[in-house]
Amino acid sequence: MRHTPVTTKRRPLGIELLLLLAICVAVLPILWGIWVSLLPNRAIVSPDWRFEPSLINFEALFEPGQVVTSQLLNSILITLGTTALVLVLAAPGAYGLSKLSPPKWVLAPAIAIAVLMPLIPPMTLVPGMYVQMASLRLIDTVYGLIILNTVVNLPFAVLLLRAYFDEISDEIREASLIDGASELRSFLSIVLPIVRPGIAAVAVFVAIMAWNEFLFGLTMSSGGRRSPLTVGISSLVQPYEVTWGQMAAAGVVAAIPIIVLAAIANRQLVAGLTQGAVKG
Amino acid sequence: MSLGSSPASTVVATRSRPKRSGTGGLLAMAPFVVFMLVFGAYPLVEVVRMSVAENRIEAGHFVPSFTGIENYLEVLADPTAWKSIWITTAFVVVTVAGTMLIGTGLALLVERAVVLKAIAQNILIWPAVVTPVVVSVIWLLVFSPTVGGLNKLLTSIGLSGQGWLDNGLGAFMLICVVDIWHWTPIVFLFVYTALIGLDGSILEASRIDGASEGKVIRHIVLPLLRPALAAAMLVRIIQSVKAFDEIYLLTKGGPRDSTLLLNLHIRRAFFDRLEYGYATALGILVVIATLAVVAVAVYAQRRATK
Repeated sequence: MRHTPVTTKRRPLGIELLLLLAICVAVLPILWGIWVSLLPNRAIVSPDWRFEPSLINFEALFEPGQVVTSQLLNSILITLGTTALVLVLAAPGAYGLSKLSPPKWVLAPAIAIAVLMPLIPPMTLVPGMYVQMASLRLIDTVYGLIILNTVVNLPFAVLLLRAYFDEISDEIREASLIDGASELRSFLSIVLPIVRPGIAAVAVFVAIMAWNEFLFGLTMSSGGRRSPLTVGISSLVQPYEVTWGQMAAAGVVAAIPIIVLAAIANRQLVAGLTQGAVKG
Repeated sequence: MSLGSSPASTVVATRSRPKRSGTGGLLAMAPFVVFMLVFGAYPLVEVVRMSVAENRIEAGHFVPSFTGIENYLEVLADPTAWKSIWITTAFVVVTVAGTMLIGTGLALLVERAVVLKAIAQNILIWPAVVTPVVVSVIWLLVFSPTVGGLNKLLTSIGLSGQGWLDNGLGAFMLICVVDIWHWTPIVFLFVYTALIGLDGSILEASRIDGASEGKVIRHIVLPLLRPALAAAMLVRIIQSVKAFDEIYLLTKGGPRDSTLLLNLHIRRAFFDRLEYGYATALGILVVIATLAVVAVAVYAQRRATK
């Protein structure tokens, strides 16, 4: 046991060095991926560290006739569609849960779904979802993937938004109702604008989840032109003919929107997410 | 900042203020409930139905014929299923423990840091927002025997390169390392948010009383952080049981099934081997086991905070 002197002496240098190490571990693999994406295959497989940056991998990726452009478009549509659908369903649902005291027979299943759904590993549901999507003819479609992405993100979105609605005092709603506004109008033009930060946090969170989604894309589409970008990247990982540079380039392309979203969603937003999830 | 015990318990707890009950609430919640019943609960029912049946495909539709618990018995008698169960258990234990230890450690470090505090707060979160598929790509580029950065580094300092993914233990350790790298930021966020919400005067007082930094952390800080640690652990357990993307891309469950997590096993059984009954029965067992583990965790946590 080491005893520090009575004065509250800290050891700043050790702390800073450890943190520097942690930062390197967090960042270096990411930088390595970006580095490889800028190298022609010849330089990647060579044992030395030559660096001749070029955009050749990105050009090859987006050559006419390649499927990546369609996959990128699919991913954008899935992300926008999922985010919109989740918000449209979650905002009234969370508001009802928080402020409107619905009858018990609606409340009980709603809470059961919101709490239990996030616990179930999606893979266990995939067979049932596949059967359902097949009978609705939604396999290999953007719509099917929007629905499935909504299923996995909606419960958490409702719980999170409910925490934001809970913070609004009841008087605000009651005052607007007394002033003659309908319930719908009071919700749309009084309450919703107040929880805008919460809506934004949920939107960013859901968008990142939908953009990153892989399992449903893999199992509910037949690959190629109909797949989201994540599945496209995975198909570049072939055991024998690995186009390392293109694989890294596709990874960079997939990462850019996330970086943009993370930049828009500053730390406050992230803090709001964790707070919402932990708050009592 | 108020920190509740767990996301699960808070839902029930805050239904206190009585309000006018009415059709407004019904109408507001109906779309959410109906959507989840149709696209969330129905597939679960379908999975249960397939798990107690032998399933044939006729004209593009699954036709189940009831066989009782036969599929479940088949799963429980299958050595591969058991191997997969143990691998998954080991994966959950290692990755949850790893992320909890490192994430908490980093939170404590960042709170005490001066120079690197701002930049660390920011950058340490990065791995969690990277697309899981891209995470696999990144780590393939690090560990690949032919072009991997690690082997390049080893050979340039005179050591020989390794086939990191060739043996079972190495591949298992690799998927654990990747998962820990990816999800440590989640624990960091939970713990750090709680840490900066703590009352600083308690810590100052105990330091002035002569307690060493280690003792302050062990006897004062960590007990105060218990609600946040418990919540982070619950989230991590759930995440870890769900893990699929990275492992599917890095190892596909191999070599020789040594990284065959249950999620990969279910996918292979259903889509590659077309063993629909087996895959769905295993899925239901996984759901039951997951709910049981979470229930135990929540119960233990409630008792501890009482």
